[in-house]
Amino acid sequence: MENLKLKIIKKKDVLNFLDSLKEEYNILVPKEKDGDIRFSEFSSGEDIPWDYRNTKISPKEIFLPRTETLFSFKEGTLTPSDSGGVFAPANEPKGSAQKTDSNKRTANYLIFGIRPCDAQAFSLLDKLFGGDDFQDPYYLKRKEQAVIISLACNKPQITCFCTSLKGKPDNEEGSDIILFDLGENILTKPITKKGEEFIENLNSWFKEAKEADIEKKNKLMDLSLKKICSGVDLHNIKEKLDEAFDISLWNEIHQKCLGCGICTYLCPTCYCFNIIDEMDHETGGLATSRGKRIRCWDSCMFSLFTLHASGHNPRPTFKERMRQRIMHKFNYCPENFKEIFCVGCGRCIRNCPVNLDLRETLASLMSFGSMSKDKKV
Amino acid sequence: MKNIDNWEPKIVAFLCNWCSYAGADLAGVSRTQYPSNIRVIRVPCSGRVDPFYIIKALQNGIDGVLVSGCHPGDCHYISGNLIARRKFALLKSFLEYIGIEPGRVQFSWVSAAEGGRFAQIIEKVTREVKELGPINKMVKKI
Amino acid sequence: MKEIEEKIKETVKKLFKENKIDIFIGYSEGTLPLRSTPCLITRPEDIEKLVWNSYCFNNLAVYLPRFFLPQTQKKDVKLPRIGILAKGCDSRSIVGLIKEHQLPRENLYIIGIPCEGMIDIKKIQDAGCKMKEVEIVSAEEKNEKVIVENEDKKKIELKKEELLADVCTSCKYNVPVIYDVLIGKEKRKTKEEERAAIIEEFEKKPLEERWKYFQEQVSKCIRCYACRQACPNCYCKECFAEQTKPKWIGVTDNISDIMFYQMGRIFHQAGRCVDCGACVRACPVGIDLRIFTYKLIKDVKEFFRYEAGVSLGEVPPLSTFKSDDKQEFITEP
Repeated sequence: MENLKLKIIKKKDVLNFLDSLKEEYNILVPKEKDGDIRFSEFSSGEDIPWDYRNTKISPKEIFLPRTETLFSFKEGTLTPSDSGGVFAPANEPKGSAQKTDSNKRTANYLIFGIRPCDAQAFSLLDKLFGGDDFQDPYYLKRKEQAVIISLACNKPQITCFCTSLKGKPDNEEGSDIILFDLGENILTKPITKKGEEFIENLNSWFKEAKEADIEKKNKLMDLSLKKICSGVDLHNIKEKLDEAFDISLWNEIHQKCLGCGICTYLCPTCYCFNIIDEMDHETGGLATSRGKRIRCWDSCMFSLFTLHASGHNPRPTFKERMRQRIMHKFNYCPENFKEIFCVGCGRCIRNCPVNLDLRETLASLMSFGSMSKDKKV
Repeated sequence: MKNIDNWEPKIVAFLCNWCSYAGADLAGVSRTQYPSNIRVIRVPCSGRVDPFYIIKALQNGIDGVLVSGCHPGDCHYISGNLIARRKFALLKSFLEYIGIEPGRVQFSWVSAAEGGRFAQIIEKVTREVKELGPINKMVKKI
Repeated sequence: MKEIEEKIKETVKKLFKENKIDIFIGYSEGTLPLRSTPCLITRPEDIEKLVWNSYCFNNLAVYLPRFFLPQTQKKDVKLPRIGILAKGCDSRSIVGLIKEHQLPRENLYIIGIPCEGMIDIKKIQDAGCKMKEVEIVSAEEKNEKVIVENEDKKKIELKKEELLADVCTSCKYNVPVIYDVLIGKEKRKTKEEERAAIIEEFEKKPLEERWKYFQEQVSKCIRCYACRQACPNCYCKECFAEQTKPKWIGVTDNISDIMFYQMGRIFHQAGRCVDCGACVRACPVGIDLRIFTYKLIKDVKEFFRYEAGVSLGEVPPLSTFKSDDKQEFITEP
């Protein structure tokens, strides 16, 4: 019955398909720029890099931009920003105005070609930004209208370890529709109601999937799953970490960390942010009452992250900050959201300047305590 | 971009207290006319001027920056201006290399007795900055 | 390479045995192909982990200042004795740090290694092995060649000299300038003039083109501060970029703030940068930093005849002056 919903579209028709949706949706596709892939606005005629592995900066920047204006103020009045504002395409030269304030286009996003791990990350961020306690209007306004079409992985990388974190090359969590690259054809599978309706409305572009297509897809996914060769057994990491705050292993784990923010900035599930006010010097110099309140990414790896106004810093060295990062993702978030905030995309491993490998760190933590010489400090 | 009608450049002048500021004062007392585009910031020594003040000024929309100190050998703090000379040689070369118009950031030596010379330098700097037009590189727009 | 690796291990074993050091900083095998990773050793049994190969590009001097921070030192606690593996560039960083009183020379034991150049992973893409489409799963160094195996199990042989990083092909000081023991002797022939030539070329371009290039490059910046954290010279307790009193720049990716940050950080390296390339390698978005950092190095050499990190005795250029320092740039009426 499930298989009835599977449809086929020819790869070469996809560009026209996306073209036809340009008016209705703000389409974001992976695009090559300066040797890396990043999500940017779709332009007619530009091909999708179907073989791309993954973007350098995770697509969380679509819903949680690097910098976002929350509201602007002028002489006592407040103007909320167009919080459904469009995501600034990565390849446009940075100009003067904050592009998130642009209300040129509708905010109906169509995220096309995202990897399943990144889509899974969205479902984790939804728990935070759209949870019971608090709803973040800026994130949600963008996210709620978005159609997320993910692209299953035919070729996982050596740094992929999604399988250790409830993921797999064709994971459906967080996507509305998932695509499978069969070569000439793309197999589509709707996952959510939104995805189903989306395909229904555009039925003319699709054909029914044949048995052969479905078999090919199954084969590809089997092969792909086998390719994921790295992983860590994390079945009880939360419980292990419950007892691990004071262990001596932390003294070693942080040693080569430089304290930059690369792992947190590239991570699809890291969400810590800073809110600041920027004053508009252009019009009135320092004594001005015009400005903007801006939200921007922050990182727990920065030394100032927990600096108190008194001057005290409860996380003064790399050790405390590294411990915080691991505990937050693998212990505190499972405590608060019942989910580990990691999807195994491997970006932190690939891009860390000193090759500090999260998999190694997790493996040492999992095996700590089973050796008698390990002791608490 | 050349002269726009009614636009007057804003120029910040960092003047060292002992020589250049005194020179500017002398120009004033002598009723020497010079363009009124400059805003003076008095510093104890030209060596005190952090390159960041200059870059920050450009960021805030200042069209031109002048740093003026004592002549080499005359520094009230002996060698402040001589260290500054090295610092500013590098800064000027670096700013030009990056693409900021060389006329926007200038340095001069003016002694306490050189009121006339101060006025001439201000005239020159104002003229050159006016030629370059309002600054748009580096300006911070939020 | 293997020989040098064995000698390093021998030397470190001896140092621990004779209780000459408390910690040794070297490299161990990375978890990714073509990577080695910094390794801090406190136990003799970990010495086996040490490696030496053409992937050891990290500048280890960056780890030294954190052991000698004044605020973490208590009155009767002895300062640690640290052994460190230093290539040419690393040794010059160490000289710079000692000169700026960040490290006590007597607490360092430096094993100098004349370096034959480190591989730049991005160059493998240029050598016809598109990493984005076909991934490299393992690599092996064999004398002057690097044999990489991609995920389709295809082995490709590449010449090591074509893969060396730019900073290495124009390196002038591959033999360390400071060391307690030197393992290896060779001074490599490199194209030192290459780098200066690139700067001269860039200088000839029109002003607006240079500005455009600068803007393009820095607009990629996401303010992760990897360049600053990877640089051994950036050891300030509070960086100007994060100061609130005065607030030089904000924390967003506003282009003007990014430009200020980059200009500021690079200018703070004037007379101190040793061109180790750590910032370039750390940058996740690939900003061409060296075209700006090297300009300052070139200027300092031309104007003040000074090269950073070469001699412990030389006074830093911005702490001194000469009566004949150039002053053509001074405005005359």
